[in-house]
Amino acid sequence: MIILHAGAHDGGIVVWGEESRDDRAGDASWWKSVRLGRTRRHPLAADPETLAGALDAVLPSDFKTAGECTATVWLPTRGSYPVPSSDIIAEPPPSQAGTKMVAWKVAARRLSPDEAVRLLSLSADRRTVGPGVLVGSDMAYWAYVLRFAGFLVARQRFLPGLEAERGLYVAKWNPVFAGRDAEQFGMLARRMPAAARALSKPSEQEAPKSPAAVVLKEIITSLTDNIVRRAAPYVPSRQRRAKFDSVHDSWLHALKSEDGIADGVPSGLAELAIQINQWQRSITISTASPFRLCFRLEEPADGADVGSTWFVRYLLQSRDDPSLIVPAAEVWDGRTAVLDRSGSNAKAFLLLSLDQAAGICRGVAEGLKNALLEGHAVTPPGAYEFLAVEATALEQAGYGIMLPSWWTSKSARAKLAARVSVHAPTMKGYGGLSLDTIMRFKWEVALGGQNVTLEELEEIARMKSSLVRVRGQWMEVSASEIQSAIKFLKKGKGRAQFMDVIRMALGAEETPGGLEIDGVNSTGKLAEVLGQLDGTTEIRDLEQPEGFSGTLRPYQVRGYSWLSFLRRWGLGGCLADDMGLGKTVQTLALVQRDWQEGSQPVLLVCPTSVVDNWHREAARFVPELPVMIHHGTDRMRGAAFRNAAEKHAIVVSSYGLVQRDTNMLGKVSWGGVVLDEAQNIKNSETKQARAVRSLGAKYRLALTGTPVENNVGDLWSIMEFLNPGFLGTREEFQRKFFVPIQAKQDAETAERLKRATGPFILRRLKTDKSIISDLPEKMEAKMFCYLTEEQASLYASVLDECMRDLYESEGIQRKGVILSTISKLKQVCNHPAQFLSDGSGIAGRSGKLARLTEMLEEVVESGDRALVFSQFAEMGHMLKRHLQETFGLEVLFLHGGVSRGQRARMVERFQNDRDGPQIFILSLKAGGTGLNLTAASHVFHFDRWWNPAVEDQATDRIFRIGQKRNVQIHKFVCAGTLEEKIDGMIERKVRVARMVVGTGEKWLTEMSDDDLKDMLSLREGA
Amino acid sequence: MSYWYYRSTGPREAKGGIKAQTKRGAFGQSWWATRWVSMLDDFDIDERLARGRTYARRGQVTSVGVEKGVVTGSVQGSKRKPYGVKIKVKTLPARAWKMAVPELFARPDIAASLLTGRMPEEVEEIFAKVGYSLLPSNSKELKTDCDCYDWSNPCKHVAAVYYILAEEFDRDPLLVFKMRGADVEDLLKAADLRPVEVTAPASLPEEPLPTDPDKFWGRTGLTGEPEMPAHVPEMPAALPKQLGSFPFWRGKAKFMPAMEEIYEHASPAGMDAFLGGQESREESGNAGHVKRRRTRGPRTAPPPSGKTGT
Repeated sequence: MIILHAGAHDGGIVVWGEESRDDRAGDASWWKSVRLGRTRRHPLAADPETLAGALDAVLPSDFKTAGECTATVWLPTRGSYPVPSSDIIAEPPPSQAGTKMVAWKVAARRLSPDEAVRLLSLSADRRTVGPGVLVGSDMAYWAYVLRFAGFLVARQRFLPGLEAERGLYVAKWNPVFAGRDAEQFGMLARRMPAAARALSKPSEQEAPKSPAAVVLKEIITSLTDNIVRRAAPYVPSRQRRAKFDSVHDSWLHALKSEDGIADGVPSGLAELAIQINQWQRSITISTASPFRLCFRLEEPADGADVGSTWFVRYLLQSRDDPSLIVPAAEVWDGRTAVLDRSGSNAKAFLLLSLDQAAGICRGVAEGLKNALLEGHAVTPPGAYEFLAVEATALEQAGYGIMLPSWWTSKSARAKLAARVSVHAPTMKGYGGLSLDTIMRFKWEVALGGQNVTLEELEEIARMKSSLVRVRGQWMEVSASEIQSAIKFLKKGKGRAQFMDVIRMALGAEETPGGLEIDGVNSTGKLAEVLGQLDGTTEIRDLEQPEGFSGTLRPYQVRGYSWLSFLRRWGLGGCLADDMGLGKTVQTLALVQRDWQEGSQPVLLVCPTSVVDNWHREAARFVPELPVMIHHGTDRMRGAAFRNAAEKHAIVVSSYGLVQRDTNMLGKVSWGGVVLDEAQNIKNSETKQARAVRSLGAKYRLALTGTPVENNVGDLWSIMEFLNPGFLGTREEFQRKFFVPIQAKQDAETAERLKRATGPFILRRLKTDKSIISDLPEKMEAKMFCYLTEEQASLYASVLDECMRDLYESEGIQRKGVILSTISKLKQVCNHPAQFLSDGSGIAGRSGKLARLTEMLEEVVESGDRALVFSQFAEMGHMLKRHLQETFGLEVLFLHGGVSRGQRARMVERFQNDRDGPQIFILSLKAGGTGLNLTAASHVFHFDRWWNPAVEDQATDRIFRIGQKRNVQIHKFVCAGTLEEKIDGMIERKVRVARMVVGTGEKWLTEMSDDDLKDMLSLREGA
Repeated sequence: MSYWYYRSTGPREAKGGIKAQTKRGAFGQSWWATRWVSMLDDFDIDERLARGRTYARRGQVTSVGVEKGVVTGSVQGSKRKPYGVKIKVKTLPARAWKMAVPELFARPDIAASLLTGRMPEEVEEIFAKVGYSLLPSNSKELKTDCDCYDWSNPCKHVAAVYYILAEEFDRDPLLVFKMRGADVEDLLKAADLRPVEVTAPASLPEEPLPTDPDKFWGRTGLTGEPEMPAHVPEMPAALPKQLGSFPFWRGKAKFMPAMEEIYEHASPAGMDAFLGGQESREESGNAGHVKRRRTRGPRTAPPPSGKTGT
């Protein structure tokens, strides 16, 4: 595992890494074994090969491996050892001595600006950039800085420059920080981790002292320059100087060329560099000035006719005291000197600012000719141009803008919108109404929230103006919108399917002419359904279906009723309750009800790791329903599959298989398709997302424990599965929702998207008041996991060996064989690598591990903390390594070899450090007693100790005084193995169970060979 | 004339001389520089003008200075010591300034131009209105002198200085005011328009690295986007436009359209970096890696109201 670090050096980014070499690194004795040469090589720095490997895996292959070097980095050093950045690498050196800064040599790579942009953009908002490649806090910082550079470039806050560098003239794109950008810059400089500027030249005798702001500016400049340069229109290969007639051409070329070097006579270039500075001088001045020029658009007086002029008034505002605003005219004629203070001249500043603004807003050039300098008049189209284009440009350039409130708020009141009034088809009850029912409706048009007549619209159209005053209220209308509104009113009526009416009602639909639809008027049943969808009418709670064994909690009844409501209309819903709230039972209740009403089979798609679990949960809660597992190499195919599937209520399969068997699955007519862990399809372009979307079904349901509604990008894919076409094509969605929300942070659009998708997403948190009262303080669930093929074959061979040995042994020896076999089988269930103890790879070889990783991801994403118990120390080490590499987060591990002091520190960090580790692995022996770990709300028993008392004692670590959360306990069991059988015996409280208590596994040794074989053997099909 | 003849009497090379930027065609681009150059035609010295231009282009003029009423320069000729050139220019009478200046500063646009070192043609109109001309109107207002042995006055050295001066006027039109006897700085001050000074930012204090490991490695907690909207501007290249077209652009490509093109291409690339390179990330197949938990805003939206009856 490697943590990547990025430091600024000499205007560029240098990457190096810390590497954990050994699971035991960091123990006091380990540090003593570290040999430090005289060269001061960092003992935990990643070596060149590891670093290159990590970077090459991340960076696209078209980047050549250049820039390999040895860097000098100054690190806090205790005793003779550098303090690692994280406990993931190693614990701090145990020395009592104070900390001082020492220069260390590390293998490093100097990134070209191109590489820097690529690597940092891959690291943005991530903890890992690849398996076992973690993003250090300094690199995360630079990744954020890159986003800031992108933010500046997107808004075009940069200017071309020319600078002398090492005897050459280099053309550069420099960022401009004005107003809030300058504040952001200051904030970024203050928050720079020191590690981001700790690199120095090898010869340096002292640690770097460059102020963060200076370092930051260099890097932002280099990133900005690279983004702009790379995006610039293509420049053919480097031209010779002879081809440039003037330095200007040479400069322009260099601004786009790869190296930026401007060719030409040095004196000419020097002169040009001065000219460029002169040219930019006014920006330099205005960004540093204590005033700000403001523009205020004033409407014509009430009662003036439509053609009257508007006025753009000039004002000066003090930056220190924004409430101090003075008309420019008063500053110009000297009436007001209030803004003047020593060293600054408001009058001169006013002229300079206006002179610059004239380049952006044409009217200002006219305004400058007015000797009174009050402002400039604009025609109605000019006023619209000012509102729609110039004001934004001026604001981006750092000027103050004051616009009428009806424009800035842009509320629905001041907009042209369509409405539809639907004639519900006559019907009794809901009979005959479905999503494709055709309905007739009447178009209406509202302006500023009130219906307008055709005559009024035509009157507005005749004005030919983008700004109109209707009933005393100014508003923006576009000619094309008016025209389509008129068309609708003339056409009067339309027909649409019920689904489209729903989209209109939820605001997800626009009219053909691009008019927003702000509501649907309807009556009767139709109004009721629409009301239930948007939450204005309550959905009646249903009785839990007959044949459902178990009792739904009140909130589960609500969820089940909601699902049934959507299912009734063939609408897809996403149940996104927190882990442990029972998404499974709510789903099974729905399927049970559906089956009773004589429906077709439901296809349940889930990750391989939970196939078995679904099987078992179905057997428990809906025992009457026939369930079929479509999984494994011996699964049915072709017509046989189809026939079998149609006889079952539920067919469980995995994402991988759905992708492989898409055609075959597509031939079955499904009652419903249910996706468990639906975040698997959040990327709409993946094959599995396409595969599940292609399956036809009467209704669709997505289950997920992660908050999908918070990520705009992921929402489309899930909605497209649930209700195809509801949010438009992906491109439409990008344009209409993604870009406005993500880039422009447009709250109105975000609200609209929520309104459109909210009715299809139900997410409840454990902490919701209405939920928490329904929950017991402790919820226990078994998690049935599968064996991988490798595990199953190892399991069988261990068993064979055992049976052979049993024949040849008796007495105490026999007991030994049995106990060791049980131990081996448990290891196989945990992980092949644990059984083989050969240090082989971890990922993808164990069903339990796969499931644990999935569940912990959810825990981590929701900010919860978890304990993971195992009785095997080797497994603990493997888990720690795997989880750290996967999540890029520190994972604690308490085992017998941990000293008292380390143990106290772990507990302290887990309990009280807000940003501390979220996962704590404990070996059952070392962590089973005496600790207080109430910060956790999940407990995982990765393997089982067949003594409930021991397990409960461990679980009780988190029930100490102070536990305020309700807690979930997940006990992992490998389906079909001895784990399941013993678990079943304990559950059934058979006679042996009493013996089990307090005696561990000894009772097994008393069984006969046949009983034993029966107990240990692998169930068919597992 | 033979090649040999030239070589024996040609001027010595002047290292670091002021080389005229104008490689061919007329010197000076602004209206005032053009007017200045056109006055040379009043003197009937065509051949010397051509040589003067060659001198100017080859960098034979080693210095040029403008003071009230006089222009001085030195030109490297065939002798070791450069020739001294002096052009005396008649200054405008106090009366002219007194009448014209208040008019100039009553117009905000002209005041703004002068403040930023530009000279609109309206300036000359205002001088004309009060009966004067800011630029010398004919050769009689000039008196040229050079310490070379050429019998002709002006000689090619004077011409060379004259041409270089045209380019200087392009660069800083306010030199014309100075030449005619008034310091624009003074005029601006008199009109209460002290030029705005950029005070050099005080150099920042050194920041030694903290030795405390927690502080050194730091948790920045910076995630998500900067909390400001990122609009792609409707009008490209607003910043260069704010500064106005590049003064005396001589590039083959037009300046502002070239800028617009670059700025328009830059915005989407910037947006991509701003949004965290989402597209490129999906391509590289890294989508499966764990995302940092968002720290901004509520962790989840409240459940859709009403429909669960809660």
